[in-house]
Amino acid sequence: MEDYKFLFKVVLVGNAGVGKTCLVRRFTQGLFPPGQGATIGVDFMIKTVEVENEKVKLQIWDTAGQERFRSITQSYYRSAHALILVYDISCQPTFDCLPDWLREIEEYASNKVLRILVGNKIDREDREIPTHVGEDFAQRHGMYFLETSAKEAENVERLFMEIAAELMEQARSKELPRYETNTTSINGKTTSIGDTSNCGCSRLS
Amino acid sequence: MKWQRLLYNNMSPRILLRTFQRISGFRFSSTKPAFTSDRYNVKRGAYASISNDHVAFFNELLGRNRVIVDAEECEGYNIDYAKIVRGKSTLVLKPRTTDEVSTILKFCNENRLAVCPQSGNTGLVGGSVPVFDEIVISMKFMNKIIETNELAGVLTCEAGCVLEDLDNHLGTVGLMMPIDLGAKGSCLIGGCVSTNAGGLRLLRYGNLHGNVLGLEAVKANGEVIDCLNTLKKNNTGYHLKHLFIGSEGTLGIVTKVAIQCPPLPKAVNVALLGLNSFEKVLKAFRLAKAELAEILSSFEMMDKRSIDISFTTFGMKSPLTSKTDGHDFYVLLETSGSNVNHDEEKLGSFVEKALADDIIEDGTLTSDPTKVKHIWALRERISEGVLKEGYVFKYDISIPLSSYYKVIEVIQERLRDPRVIRISGYGHLGDGNIHVQVSIPSYEPDIASQLEPFIFEYVSELRGSVSAEHGIGFVKTKYLHKSRTSSEIKLMHQLKKLMDPNGILNPYKVLHPLEFPA
Ligand SMILES: Cc1cc2nc3c(=O)[nH]c(=O)nc-3n(C[C@H](O)[C@H](O)[C@H](O)COP(=O)(O)OP(=O)(O)OC[C@H]3O[C@@H](n4cnc5c(N)ncnc54)[C@H](O)[C@@H]3O)c2cc1C
Ligand SMILES: Nc1nc2c(ncn2[C@@H]2O[C@H](COP(=O)(O)OP(=O)(O)OP(=O)(O)O)[C@@H](O)[C@H]2O)c(=O)[nH]1
Ligand SMILES: [Mg+2]
Repeated sequence: MEDYKFLFKVVLVGNAGVGKTCLVRRFTQGLFPPGQGATIGVDFMIKTVEVENEKVKLQIWDTAGQERFRSITQSYYRSAHALILVYDISCQPTFDCLPDWLREIEEYASNKVLRILVGNKIDREDREIPTHVGEDFAQRHGMYFLETSAKEAENVERLFMEIAAELMEQARSKELPRYETNTTSINGKTTSIGDTSNCGCSRLS
Repeated sequence: MKWQRLLYNNMSPRILLRTFQRISGFRFSSTKPAFTSDRYNVKRGAYASISNDHVAFFNELLGRNRVIVDAEECEGYNIDYAKIVRGKSTLVLKPRTTDEVSTILKFCNENRLAVCPQSGNTGLVGGSVPVFDEIVISMKFMNKIIETNELAGVLTCEAGCVLEDLDNHLGTVGLMMPIDLGAKGSCLIGGCVSTNAGGLRLLRYGNLHGNVLGLEAVKANGEVIDCLNTLKKNNTGYHLKHLFIGSEGTLGIVTKVAIQCPPLPKAVNVALLGLNSFEKVLKAFRLAKAELAEILSSFEMMDKRSIDISFTTFGMKSPLTSKTDGHDFYVLLETSGSNVNHDEEKLGSFVEKALADDIIEDGTLTSDPTKVKHIWALRERISEGVLKEGYVFKYDISIPLSSYYKVIEVIQERLRDPRVIRISGYGHLGDGNIHVQVSIPSYEPDIASQLEPFIFEYVSELRGSVSAEHGIGFVKTKYLHKSRTSSEIKLMHQLKKLMDPNGILNPYKVLHPLEFPA
């Protein structure tokens, strides 16, 4: 733990089957696992990335979408720095459930947590939720927005890298104490990272 | 969500876990081990041989159904689970009552017939099968539950009850057995008591010397010793039960047991963690003790080569996926508590710290019964799976945690032999107990002599134990003195003489007066 400056806890939530695990595996292992089974309980892992020559460790928690497989629900929200809320752009019900997820986030997570809405599976032809609908939703709820494809490796790397960069920026500007002190006071009001105008990733908070 | 969770709690997670498959019937299709008496060059004691008159007496006492003389049928009682020993018994008796055990022993004692008590025959040190023609006394039919005191949390039962059956029974009244081990579907409580078996939750509930409140045993001369106390406290006179706990059938036959049973936990969570060095395993243990404290109920470690057995032999999937070729070490950690939220809070913070401090590479955590069972199976099936590779030298040792894994490295260094398939270690880290296994296609005396006495001397130098929980049985008698002082061994011989003057109870085991070849 000596060789990195930042450690952030990133938690993925969202309905079953929207592709949370595939997003994580694409990012951590660079692959799209065939026949990925439902997550049971919660899986956690470490991935180190480099942002502006600084080592940033991401502690990733991949949670179960299926209600009956969820465990330690409250704990994984607690002290999360970023929450990735995922839906499937080809599956309306996964989008319709977003308000429920937001209620849970309100209940358990810090109100300063960085929240990102992700519409996954953009490689699919049978899209049901147009991009602007997702964007609108994100805007209304003060979230970042990004569309991805775990399958085609589209925007996945970028999703996590932007989160890392944003959290780093926030931590720096607020001179946040590092992770060990267990504070979660991440402030959303910092400057934008990178050029977001033509990539579907808009800063909204 | 609340409803789901409540339902699950009412069904008691532990009961659900218990569906773990029973050890499949012994397969004698592959080569049988050599006769113990030949491989170890043992001299038969001066006992009588079984005559037709003897058999007639037992037929009269038990009826023909419970007297087995068929050679084929006897074979299953002559070979142990791990196929390291093989006896030559031609007679197996299956008593149903203490009186019958008493009559059998009285008769055997008067006729100088040697006996070998046997329960589930899962013992790993060759104690449960005869060496020569000792009469096998199988305890399987003494399987009645006598009393379940829910309020006091005390179970009284006959010695032949299967551990898993007892646990399932207790689950229905919100209690559990204080002991659990991979052989639970086959081992009998009397066998566990006689070996003072440790198992997967000793860390939390302590050993059987504490949990067995009382027992009934039959001495060599047939005398029944009733110390079936069910009180938690009873400091009166000598605590004789301890003589029968862990004495491996050499001082008497245990016929009944009273055991204290903790309440079934409402919340059980299991985590499997991947780590990249043994040092980190120790760090994880330290952190688990600090963060999980009173809810920690198991802390098991496996090296890569151990868990690989479950992956390859049984084709079980690893629940950890972040590293394609796996981790160097794995930890299975279990918590049991009475409040779901409380436990989750603690686990969440444990995992966070373990990740933050770079202790673990990845992991998974669940309370889902199916996944919990799967994770436990990865650990529990190691000892079954390795047997498929051929002959397995197994060492069950206690050593200080600082040297815990070093023993594996030392053996790997020492034993560079192409015949060796696998050298690996796993075990109850929380208890300082590691199981060392060395597998080769078939028994080779020269490999044996490279391992023994080396490993026992190594352990002894570290002031460890040459047998942490499996006992001495037949195969470790030579090394008893490595973990016991001569004054202790002298008193053991005196006790043996006092309780079994003719030496009919499980001869050639634990204390061995005869010389072994080097
Ligand atoms: C897969 C597997 C996992 C295991 N895991 C563990 C573990 O985690 N911890 C552990 O400690 N052990 C473990 N063992 C070893 C073994 O299962 C235990 O020691 C168990 O308690 C033996 O019970 P049993 O009923 O099979 O007894 P047996 O093997 O039949 O007998 C064991 C010894 O006790 C004597 N004996 C049996 N019944 C009586 C009786 N009623 N009265 C007097 N003497 C008797 C026998 O003569 C023999 O010496 C494991 C074994 C296997 C196969
Ligand atoms: N076409 C397409 N399919 C995807 C994509 N991502 C995931 N999938 C598929 O969606 C299914 C579910 O993916 P998972 O990653 O297991 O979904 P999850 O959100 O982790 O589901 P839970 O663990 O049950 O909560 C799998 O069959 C994947 O192959 C994607 O980007 N494109
Ligand atoms: Mg998943």
